[in-house]
Amino acid sequence: MSLTSNMMLQASRLGGIVTKRGGATGLMVHRDTKENNLNVKFKFTPENEDRIKAICAIYPEGHKAGALIPLLDLAQRQHGWLPISAMHEVARILEVPRMRAYEVATFYTMFNRQPVGKYFLQVCATTPCMLRGAETITETIEKKLGIHAGETTKDGLFTLAEVECLGACVNAPMIQINDDYFEDLTPKDVHEILDDLKAGRKPAAGPRSGRLAAEPFGELTSLKETPPGPGFGLQAALK
Amino acid sequence: MLRAGASRCLVVGNSTLRCLSTGKDNLPVTRSHDAKKMELNDILEKPSTKVPVKVSSDETMDIGGVPLQHQDARTARIFRPARETPQSAWANTKSWTIELDNRQRWENPLIGWSGTADPLSNVGMNMKFATKEDAIAFCEKNRWEFDVEEPHERKIKPKNYGQNFSWNRRTRIGTK
Amino acid sequence: MHRVGGQLVRGVKAQQKRSLSAALPPKKVNKVEVFIDGKSLLVDPGMTILQACALVGVDIPRFCYHDRLSIAGNCRMCLVEVEKSVKPVASCAMPVMNGMKVKTNSDFVRKAREGVMEFMLNNHPLDCPICDQGGECDLQDQAVAFGSDRGRLQSRYDGKRALEDKNIGPLVKTVMTRCIQCTRCVRFANEVAAFPDFGTTGRGQDLQIGTYVEKFFASELSGNIIDICPVGALTSKQYAFTARPWETRKTESVDVMDGTGSNIVLSHRTGELLRVIPKINDDINEEWIGDQSRFAVDGLKVQRLLAPMIRGADGQLKPASWEEALFTVAAKLRETPAEQKAAVAGGLNDVESLIALKDLFNRFNSENVMTEEEFPETSGGSDLRSNYVFNDGIASVESADAILLVGTNPRFEAPTLNARIRKSFLYSDVQIGVIGAETELTYEYDYLGASAKAIDDILAGKGDFAKTLSSAATPLIIVGSQALKGESGAVLLGKLQQLAEKLGNGKQVKVLNVLQRWAGQTGAQDIGYKAGTSSIRKTPIKFLYLLGADEGKVTKANLDPSAFVVYQGHHGDAGAEMADVILPGAAYTEKEGTYVNTEGRSQRAYPAVSPPGEARVDWKIIRAVSEVAGKALPYSDLKEIRQRLNEIAPHLLRYRDLEPSPFVKQALQLAQTSGSIDVDVSPALRELSDYYQTNVISRNSRSMAQAKKAAIENKTNPYAEEPTYARL
Repeated sequence: MSLTSNMMLQASRLGGIVTKRGGATGLMVHRDTKENNLNVKFKFTPENEDRIKAICAIYPEGHKAGALIPLLDLAQRQHGWLPISAMHEVARILEVPRMRAYEVATFYTMFNRQPVGKYFLQVCATTPCMLRGAETITETIEKKLGIHAGETTKDGLFTLAEVECLGACVNAPMIQINDDYFEDLTPKDVHEILDDLKAGRKPAAGPRSGRLAAEPFGELTSLKETPPGPGFGLQAALK
Repeated sequence: MLRAGASRCLVVGNSTLRCLSTGKDNLPVTRSHDAKKMELNDILEKPSTKVPVKVSSDETMDIGGVPLQHQDARTARIFRPARETPQSAWANTKSWTIELDNRQRWENPLIGWSGTADPLSNVGMNMKFATKEDAIAFCEKNRWEFDVEEPHERKIKPKNYGQNFSWNRRTRIGTK
Repeated sequence: MHRVGGQLVRGVKAQQKRSLSAALPPKKVNKVEVFIDGKSLLVDPGMTILQACALVGVDIPRFCYHDRLSIAGNCRMCLVEVEKSVKPVASCAMPVMNGMKVKTNSDFVRKAREGVMEFMLNNHPLDCPICDQGGECDLQDQAVAFGSDRGRLQSRYDGKRALEDKNIGPLVKTVMTRCIQCTRCVRFANEVAAFPDFGTTGRGQDLQIGTYVEKFFASELSGNIIDICPVGALTSKQYAFTARPWETRKTESVDVMDGTGSNIVLSHRTGELLRVIPKINDDINEEWIGDQSRFAVDGLKVQRLLAPMIRGADGQLKPASWEEALFTVAAKLRETPAEQKAAVAGGLNDVESLIALKDLFNRFNSENVMTEEEFPETSGGSDLRSNYVFNDGIASVESADAILLVGTNPRFEAPTLNARIRKSFLYSDVQIGVIGAETELTYEYDYLGASAKAIDDILAGKGDFAKTLSSAATPLIIVGSQALKGESGAVLLGKLQQLAEKLGNGKQVKVLNVLQRWAGQTGAQDIGYKAGTSSIRKTPIKFLYLLGADEGKVTKANLDPSAFVVYQGHHGDAGAEMADVILPGAAYTEKEGTYVNTEGRSQRAYPAVSPPGEARVDWKIIRAVSEVAGKALPYSDLKEIRQRLNEIAPHLLRYRDLEPSPFVKQALQLAQTSGSIDVDVSPALRELSDYYQTNVISRNSRSMAQAKKAAIENKTNPYAEEPTYARL
């Protein structure tokens, strides 16, 4: 194989990962699609209207634009994802040009500007998770659901995305499903979680290894002695 | 001037040169290492001292060879070029320049190059003057009428990064 | 709430009274001393290091910083070394401090800039040979000056960042891969052009400039983003692949597309005009020009009158020799009685040709010379200059604290003036009132109705805006020349003079400012042209001389049926259509001439190219007519004709500077102030699509037609935002 074709192969392989990772955020321009166009009507529910009032009350007069992120988030929670008409609605409420809403929505990866399934599976694939088997987790999900990263199942239940560090490195590997973290995963746990979700049950969030949080397995390895009291280590003159 | 029959290879910056001629019978030598080193000044004729020829302003144009119709009634515009807006540097705006009134140009129908009958059309492109007075003197010497255009100096008003975040001013518009 | 400027402003209003004065810096401040490369310098506090360097002529390299935009500080190219600072400092955003020692050219600085440049070039394509910015590219120049000869990034796996190009209309071409994300265009769009749809989407590697949804860059100043772009990401569609800057000759000249007389630079090569770019003039156009001024020049290459023409017996215009044409005109000129002759000048004429035409008619005992644009002739009218010029000067809008716009839409009548009003609006909290159409200007305003009778209310002190005006330290009234026509125009002018007198009493400003729409109008009135063509309709005219009059104010129907019409001008348009003889003249890029802008500032335009075909410089044609007609005008070159100008209006030869117009008081005494002014003074130009084709040159311009089409189509684009008009 020649050098160039080798390079191209590598580039295409890596390029594949790049697009998979970008799957959740997508293009940074808008193109009308069947699901996302101006005909998709978006209106806040009365409950959310009340929430908007509460949110806007936090910001001082003249600084309503600060409520862009919470309002966009509210819109996304209501609609499941963030269609362009929702951004327009938020911009209208906050009296900012629409572009300001576009800018915020494209900047933050947690705003999904394409439709996602009912359960949005985000597999952390950054180094600590990867070392602890994130790729196996991804493979397990892919096999079980028959989708690849960036895709949604036909029944519209699951969307899979590979994302960068979600900050739960000590409980690696982990996936985030909507707002919940599922940590210390093995392929078996993944099967259980997905089965539960399919069956409409709500699997328990958190570490699956029996840990409560990020404490060590077994007994403590440090900080075992009684913590010294105030004044510890102070020079005598200051005591 | 080199001596007859001699060929040379000059060493630049060395001021000596190797000359393929003998000193005695003026016959050329065939091998270079037989050649004798000679000082450059021995070969070159003594330079004559330069005597400045006083040219009165009226004669300058007459002997310049510029056709009459392009000598007469020329008006020079003396100005400092403005900064070109596509670029942000000010270096080109510091010297004064001359531009003569624009005469007709045409495109050569055969090769498409531009031509003009005006030999002075490029004066402005190649001449820069440190001061306005220099440019005026040059115009006077060439018997051109001239107009001096004073440049529009830029005004520098204090500007502040904090204006972007000013809490009570309209300068805080949502941009980058 | 108006969308421009956003909802912030309401907060400003609410807090203005108690806080704004406190937030402003105190008036008297001591200067601080800084050392730039060892040179001591006293500067105003609050200035940035970069500005302080500019004061001593040290150019700091920059990409994101622009003199007329807000500070972004994101390109990091302007790094300098400040003594006692461990890290290099971004000079564009760092304010000067007393005793600061700045080094702009140390090894430390050079290394820092080299690093920045390396990052800059990581994602920049190597397409300089096919890039239109090549040769006038800041990135190119600064890479040579500060860059390394190699970069360390091996873009083996992922290649360079590549982006799709955006379609933002028929005027500006985008090649987004070249973008270095300095955000100058974003800041220009939001701050100057008030087009908030331009922004950045995405983040990090994915960040891109654009509108997110494809749409037209709907602004009359859009062409300026071509100039401010430091790389080739935004270039001119019209000028694409045309020339390199080093091949072109540049002629600094004056624009005629509007009354402000923007300073421009004409780029030309081989006798062909290639493009127009603005020339910096802080008194007039700052650094911007409108799209018409920039792009309409392609109209100078089509529909030109190339040879004299005479209408034959069959009613067809046929090319003729200059001799035939001149003799025909001269014969008619001689045989027509003086009272049956008239001359009408259009709006794009230089003063030299206007004075030649007037002198020619005066030789034949006719005073019947007029302009197409109307202006009240009663009540002093054009006799007193202060009546018809922008007395306070364009730059005065920056220091004004209340502006009343009457019957004008400066956004489309004088885009650069409007940009200045917006600048004033952003930086100085000016209050603006509008009488006329409720159009989308680029700032918020109090709308006082379409009828001019709102002025009566202001005179009587009724309404909030009347109070704002009377309490203002430097109030300005800007009245559009379009509103000043007919009987009501005279009364309107009189009332505005009264108001100006009332407001300006004891103040530095003259208050009343007329915004002329045409580049040649002020000059024509200065040398004694009657404004308006009404006198033609009073007596049957048998000999009509049109000098570039193409607005169709006079038609065949207004003349005697046997009338003989001469058209002298550069385009085959309305005027040429009705002419019996056509004398091909030169456009503003082809002749040396004096133009007087709406301020009354006279400026010289210089020829960049020669008139096409057999066309000739206008005043010379008129001079030739006079010679053939037997009454030769006493001037045969530009110097002599200017001498003649000096006799009748010496201020026209005092170029560059603003000539104050006295006799404001006397003008008021002559003013006609009684009568009804209950007329609609809405300006004709209300939307962007009206802007592009307003004169004979832009009507023939292809790119202007395309832009107009795009602006019309943009109205049906569902993603184009509907402007909202809530007011303070």
